[in-house]
Amino acid sequence: MKTRNPWLARICALTLMGSAIVQADEAIDAHNVNAFWGVSAEKLEYRYSDSDEKLAVIETDAWYGSDELKFRWQFTGEWEENHNAWETLENQFLAQTPISEFWDAKAGIRIDTPEGPDRVYGVIGLTGLAPYWFEIDTNLYVSDKGDASVDFEAEYELLITNYWIVSATFETLLAFSEDREIGVGKGINSTEVGLRLSYDLIDRAFSPYVGVVHERKYGDTADFARASGGGTEDWFAVVGARLAF
Amino acid sequence: MYDNYYEPETIDIQKGEVVRFVVENHGQLVHEFNIGTADMHEAHQEEMVMMVEHGVIQGGTINHQMMEMDMGDGHTMKHDDPNSVLLEPGQSGELIWRFSGDTTLEFACNVPGHYQAGMYGDVRFQQ
Amino acid sequence: MTRRLITVTLALFLPAIGMAGEYDLTVDRVKIDTGDFVKEGIGYNGSSPGPTLRFKEGEDVVINVTNNLKETTSIHWHGLILPFEQDGVPGISFPGIKPGETFTYRFPVVQAGTYWYHSHSGFQEPNGAYGAIIIEPEGREPFRYDREYVVQLTDKHPHSGDRIMRNLKSSPDYYNRQQQTVMDFFTESREQGFMATLHDRRMWGQMRMMKADIEDVQGFTGLINGKGPEQNWTGLFKPGERVRLRFINSSAMTYFDIRIPGLKMTVVQADGNNVQPVNVDEFRIGVAETYDVIVHIRDEQAYTIFAESMGRSGYARGTLAPREGMVAEVPELRKAPMLTMADMAGHMDHGDMDHGSMNHGGMDHGAMDHSSMNHGSMDQGSMNHAGMDHSAHGGGMPEDPFYASGSGLLPTASNGGKFLSYSDLRAQSPLYEEREPTREIEMRLTGNMERYEWSINGVKYEDADPVVLQYGERVRFKFVNETMMTHPMHLHGMWSILDVGAGKWNPIKHVISVAPATTVYMETEVDAPGEWAFHCHLSYHAAAGMFRKIVVEGGPNEDVASGDAQAKGGDA
Repeated sequence: MKTRNPWLARICALTLMGSAIVQADEAIDAHNVNAFWGVSAEKLEYRYSDSDEKLAVIETDAWYGSDELKFRWQFTGEWEENHNAWETLENQFLAQTPISEFWDAKAGIRIDTPEGPDRVYGVIGLTGLAPYWFEIDTNLYVSDKGDASVDFEAEYELLITNYWIVSATFETLLAFSEDREIGVGKGINSTEVGLRLSYDLIDRAFSPYVGVVHERKYGDTADFARASGGGTEDWFAVVGARLAF
Repeated sequence: MYDNYYEPETIDIQKGEVVRFVVENHGQLVHEFNIGTADMHEAHQEEMVMMVEHGVIQGGTINHQMMEMDMGDGHTMKHDDPNSVLLEPGQSGELIWRFSGDTTLEFACNVPGHYQAGMYGDVRFQQ
Repeated sequence: MTRRLITVTLALFLPAIGMAGEYDLTVDRVKIDTGDFVKEGIGYNGSSPGPTLRFKEGEDVVINVTNNLKETTSIHWHGLILPFEQDGVPGISFPGIKPGETFTYRFPVVQAGTYWYHSHSGFQEPNGAYGAIIIEPEGREPFRYDREYVVQLTDKHPHSGDRIMRNLKSSPDYYNRQQQTVMDFFTESREQGFMATLHDRRMWGQMRMMKADIEDVQGFTGLINGKGPEQNWTGLFKPGERVRLRFINSSAMTYFDIRIPGLKMTVVQADGNNVQPVNVDEFRIGVAETYDVIVHIRDEQAYTIFAESMGRSGYARGTLAPREGMVAEVPELRKAPMLTMADMAGHMDHGDMDHGSMNHGGMDHGAMDHSSMNHGSMDQGSMNHAGMDHSAHGGGMPEDPFYASGSGLLPTASNGGKFLSYSDLRAQSPLYEEREPTREIEMRLTGNMERYEWSINGVKYEDADPVVLQYGERVRFKFVNETMMTHPMHLHGMWSILDVGAGKWNPIKHVISVAPATTVYMETEVDAPGEWAFHCHLSYHAAAGMFRKIVVEGGPNEDVASGDAQAKGGDA
């Protein structure tokens, strides 16, 4: 809770920096739009597992900035209903800049405050569009405890029609060292594979979906999970919506 | 003749009158002075399209060599009908016509597009 | 100063005393009802489109524009030759018109024809701030017609301009609902074979480009004179009459293919300048262009004016009828065209040559784009035959020098007849002596669709220096379109003489449309001192940076660029 206020201050600082990059030239003001923003929720969903686990999952993204420099706030939360607790509660504050036609580099900070111990990470990452339309997002994290890890996400959208869309996602986390306190083992930690069928109901602003998600933990991470009474592999049925403003 | 209209746009004729027209092209483009019915003009326009497509008429010039060329079927693209004169800019020509007064006639330029754009005039018969 | 200007004018045109039209325009918030939706927008004198302004060549006009909005506004007189302070581009010609303020435009009318006016501030134009201008010539028109109508088209969207821009920046395919789907894949596999279809998808996928990327902003309702297809704008005629239709494309983003089934159209004017008449069945009107056509209607029946968008995602419709209420059949939209590898060629060359400058040292492309290029050239032949809607198989493929050879965008008339091409256009009467250009300026039209960035020579407006021209030059502009979009390039203040290879008969325009992967030349007689705008007239491309300031140095009396210089200019 203590950390809330500094975050707010940080957001304000980012916003101010953002407006400073807009030049005060009248002609440019009248003809060029330099700063944009976007708020979206890629996932806003409820998951039921075959082992009766119930999760509310939220992934939101808010950004402000220009073609050259964007500031992002990405939030990920997983609320576990059975324990009434945030299994994941993650905020990333990032600056993002293009490095090639299809790729952006990003750097910033990630603050995890779930149930249990907190962590703060430095982040550098790469996000963009790979050939054949795969959306890729990958990051290197170094925690305040000195542990390094990498995550990788890929998404592919298959258009059944121009409104019915199947999106396939793959996520994995790989740690270079163990952080037992937060249940992270060395090596591949986990994978998550999802398949969601959505329908664009209002523009691309509101797209409800249903789907399935498979989560699996590996190696020491799986052992840690078992030790704390959790499962290591789950199939979830998913219902939710994608939002974009 | 101007680009692309006639001055005057109406001529008054007595039935049976023989008229000698002196036609001057004051424009910068090739123009025609052709007397006929609307249907005749329409038919003639197709020939004129061919003349333009084959480069006989190019904006402000007439390619006379091209005109004489045999089209392969014994026809040439000669423009020598008695009811018509075809003029380059600055040229003038004459046409003598006897108006019987039995049909509705127009004088028109059938260079593609010119008639449609309004390069035509009416022949009015005095009662 | 005003008095002096008038005195000078008097001295020049003594007989024309008292020729001064005064007009009042208010800029208002208005309701726009398209029949499909009702949307708050911006209009003039309480309506969108605004009133049609009728000027007479040779008169001095005075236009009082009162801004009733809560934001700054401006009016640009599109295609008019006038002193640059009167051109209405905020930050270039003048500071703009503040809320509550009245700005008085004063300029001599030195031309005739069909033009239009629109706001040059933000996205006020897509939001409804546009209207038509008709200028009667001093002498007679070089054509005959019995009546005339303005047919002003636009692509009214239910989203505001700001929102559209933001959505495009967030997700460039936000409005594209013509993307190729799994269903299309199956259909195409059946027609062309599974491997061929898979290969096609692989090529485009490798480039991360979409064949369906023709219209950035879909979901609009096409309007004619403010009326949607259901509201059916109707122009009346008496059988036997010749009707002059003044088509103006005031769209933010949309090219239209226009036809009137059952009638031949004779194109007599393009962008306000008379052209040698061309008989056509259909023509394409780029954004911000105007075309005047004459139709001769013999029969007592109704005719549909049908304007399909180039990407076939929407249409505008109106009617010509002998009586109010009579309608004719409204055709179905034709199948949407798809870009081909030919349309991508400019982009791929670009990928090869100058990635470094634009893309901060592209990490992944070098290798990638090379391989796709090879595919491209290898497969062009088979590609082009593949199921494009103008399905002339084999050798009979129509060609037009203003489209890439094998382009998917090449239009054909729906009745198989004549479709107007830029190469058909000839000036009716050359405006300038023909002479060698003094120099050539290359303008590469560049962009990045995935980021929705648009630029000239890889540089966006905010980062670019002005283009400096010298008064008295004749500049040859070389437009090289390296993108897969079609860009209508608009130069303010001076004419764009489109090179169609006809020498002194080259047509005189104010918008030059440049199709993907083509190079188009235009020449400009630099005869207007001051500062001018030059940009792509697609609203969201201009706003993204496909825009330049042009500075013309010097002047007729070396008395650089001011209102005084203009008045004196009349003396010389």
